[in-house]
Amino acid sequence: MWTYLGRRLIQVPLVLLVVSLMTFLITRATPGDPVQIMLGMQTSPAAVAAMRAEFNLDKPLPVQYGLWIAKVATGDLGRSIRLNDRVTSLIGERLPVSLQLAAAGMIFALLLSIPLGVIAALRRNTWIDYLCTGYTVLGFAVPNFGLALILIYVFSIKLNWLPITGIGTEEAAAGGVWTYFSPFIIPAVALGTLQTAMLTRLLRSSMIDVLSQDYMRTARAKGLLPPTIVIVHALKNAMIPFITMAAVQFGYMIGIQVTIEYIFAVPGMGSAVLNAVVNRDFPVIQGFTLVIAIFFLMTNIAADMLYSLIDPRIRY
Amino acid sequence: MALLSVRNLRTRFATDRGTVRAVDGVSFDLAEGEILGLVGESGSGKSVTALSVMRLVPEPPGRIAADSLAFDGTEILALSEAEMREKRGASMAMIFQDPMRSLNPVLTIGRQLTEVLHRHQKIDGAAARKRAIELLEMVGIPMAEKRLAAYPHQFSGGMRQRVMIAIALSCNPRLLIADEATTALDVTIQAQIVELVKQLTHERGTSVIWISHDLGVVAGLCDRVNVMYAGRVVETSPIRDLFKHPRHGYTLGLMGSTPRVDGMQHRLTPIEGLPPNLTEPQTLCPFLPRCRVSVEACRQRPPEARSFGPDHTAVCLADLGT
Amino acid sequence: MAGTTQAPPFQFRGSFLLAARQFPRNRAATLGAVFLLLICLGAIFAPLIAPYDPIQIKLAMKLKPPSLEHLMGTDHFGRDIFSRMLYGGRTSLSVGLLVVGFAFALGVPLGLASGYFGGSVDNLLMRLVDAFLTFPPLLLAVALVGLLGPDIQNVMIALGLVQAPILARMVRGSTLAVREEVYVTAARALGATPTRIVLSHLLRNMISPIVVQLTVVFSAAVVAEASLSFLGFGTQPPNPSWGRDMSEARRFLNDAPWMFLSPTLMIALCVLSINFMGDGLRDALDPRSWRARRRVAGED
Repeated sequence: MWTYLGRRLIQVPLVLLVVSLMTFLITRATPGDPVQIMLGMQTSPAAVAAMRAEFNLDKPLPVQYGLWIAKVATGDLGRSIRLNDRVTSLIGERLPVSLQLAAAGMIFALLLSIPLGVIAALRRNTWIDYLCTGYTVLGFAVPNFGLALILIYVFSIKLNWLPITGIGTEEAAAGGVWTYFSPFIIPAVALGTLQTAMLTRLLRSSMIDVLSQDYMRTARAKGLLPPTIVIVHALKNAMIPFITMAAVQFGYMIGIQVTIEYIFAVPGMGSAVLNAVVNRDFPVIQGFTLVIAIFFLMTNIAADMLYSLIDPRIRY
Repeated sequence: MALLSVRNLRTRFATDRGTVRAVDGVSFDLAEGEILGLVGESGSGKSVTALSVMRLVPEPPGRIAADSLAFDGTEILALSEAEMREKRGASMAMIFQDPMRSLNPVLTIGRQLTEVLHRHQKIDGAAARKRAIELLEMVGIPMAEKRLAAYPHQFSGGMRQRVMIAIALSCNPRLLIADEATTALDVTIQAQIVELVKQLTHERGTSVIWISHDLGVVAGLCDRVNVMYAGRVVETSPIRDLFKHPRHGYTLGLMGSTPRVDGMQHRLTPIEGLPPNLTEPQTLCPFLPRCRVSVEACRQRPPEARSFGPDHTAVCLADLGT
Repeated sequence: MAGTTQAPPFQFRGSFLLAARQFPRNRAATLGAVFLLLICLGAIFAPLIAPYDPIQIKLAMKLKPPSLEHLMGTDHFGRDIFSRMLYGGRTSLSVGLLVVGFAFALGVPLGLASGYFGGSVDNLLMRLVDAFLTFPPLLLAVALVGLLGPDIQNVMIALGLVQAPILARMVRGSTLAVREEVYVTAARALGATPTRIVLSHLLRNMISPIVVQLTVVFSAAVVAEASLSFLGFGTQPPNPSWGRDMSEARRFLNDAPWMFLSPTLMIALCVLSINFMGDGLRDALDPRSWRARRRVAGED
């Protein structure tokens, strides 16, 4: 198994290289000068030139890329042009927040999709099943920002049960459990509903498949109690594809949650990239996409490894 | 008193092509310690009969009905599902055709053994482990202790079936049903498994219903045989008598299509035609279209059960006197 | 999960008619197709149907709730939301269609080449696809549009570039499976050229999964365009766009909830109809499910 892991890990730098090259080319090939944007129109050409030199923007493209790669190899992702800060420390501030949001969304998705998927499979083709699948259809159809607005309207404005700002702020951290966690609720539901839909469908289909297998008949022939049969015998098998998909989806979350971060003013990775794109803040764009890509690749590899851990038939 | 007494068992399935009469009026008795063979081709209703006895038929779309279905004096059809669960695995057990597919791939062999012990005999922990090891040794699995942590895919086909037997016999059932238990195995392994079953059930006095389409295996194992066709028992006989004097057109056909290792090698004569459509009720003999020995009467009235000696009955109008 | 065998070959003439007849049996799919048609018609004939000019400002009428004169109410500029929805549909649907075309034109040949020729071609292309897929799609689209400029064409290019690799992957998978089928070997034995094999045999068999994937691409494109516009990267004001209007509606959540509900509803309806239609298409195009339809619950 370790050799398989090793092989997968070796491919990572290669993919990252291609990703960073693509990002680099896209940012450099498109119009817009970050320095100009930063300093404004009134500054002297000398100041502009000086800043350009500072960020290596006056050198030929391959050199710029080479310099950046060299720095990355030492763990230095450069400095933001717009914000006077190292990219790595910006990431250090924003990544935890994004991860918390993604985790919240995922937890919501898991809490809902597992029971829904199981019940829908057990009560297949009854009204309960139709209700569950109907819910998943809505989850697919309503975009997450639309759902966010609906939830804000109902739960925050009309009912005033839940707050909508304050994720990841220091006041929230100081204020106690509810103050810290409550701002996560609406965004988590909005973010996680699509995942809930996909995972419920997957689990339902997987359970239906498992329930028709011969070993379920053996379990019944042994006279085992229904909860044992469903949970130990059926669910354990059905969870295999479920868990791997959940892991992969988690990797995707950071990318998907851009709109949620935007609506709820979450100081996360997505909103940082958004601002950086507007301001042509190259180092931030490159650094952040690199980290996001690493995260995605790592979760994918973890998902594969997880697969071999939970399915005894698979041993790499 | 018979351990199992079946009277007019009728199991039907609702499909949108009509009601399928999978079991259409089956009656038989099973004595203590007896090994009964259920023989017939696919679709003859033998598996469904067995599943009906254990009430493992999904209802809906199935429905089990009978004048009487008595196991050890208790009417099976009158029991609640919870009461039925107490019996399954404990006093009646079943093993199936393909042990690879019948064992749960993500649970260890040990777990699949101990859970039955825990459920019915309330043994767990170290005591269950010990018993599980004994059971594995009983069915002839070497290095039993190490095997407890193994998974089904790490075993060979024959060993998997041995495990199934161990699971089935773990709580000392009165009745063991084996549904095509050796069909998916190598011929040499088949023989071993048959011997194992014979030995273990004889030791314990367990009654067995052995379902197969293979007359050869049945001949070496069973005391009596019920030949089934189209959901009915068409002939029932002690084993020797059946081979010496088959009394039903279908039985005759089966004999003719079974290769023999003894004596003359003549051509195998397959039974022409296809099994009947089980959604249509049959007034005349269901085997008539394919029968080589039918007589005029067969086309005019339904066949009656006729007795040919102690315990030998055939539902056939033709006279196959040999 | 469980492996599925390839659907049998899909001959155009006879099967097409059979498929067309199968389609209406699936009620959800027909409903979906009907809704989609309505939305399309609404979009195409917007200038004729729309009761008001979508961008004309009438401050006196601002923030009015839905009524007979304004079916979906008015926004903060007094503009009729219903008219804006119709015109917004034009943007969304045209983006959707063009993205589908772009993804198809780019992704299918890529996938076919990769799957059919295999070897180093396959390796190279799939590494590229992998790199693309490592980007979270929305961020990639944001980056592309943000850097190229918030122009509708850039949106289409960006979304097409994002969807094409996924399609390519899928087509490659199908190609690999179909390539090994006996009739392909037979065709090769009869001296068919690669082009002919690819076009007549491979492509025909992949019609069903490709069509279904294209419906997924379509609905994903509609949602993505809305997301981009919502974030400020797509259609620019004052042009009507479902996503953009939702963003503007944020300030008026309490006062005028119809402002955000209408575009949300439109997007949801659009995605729902496309998805149901896609399901129906999938069932209609797979000959195996034709007979299956006659069986009642109990087999899936």
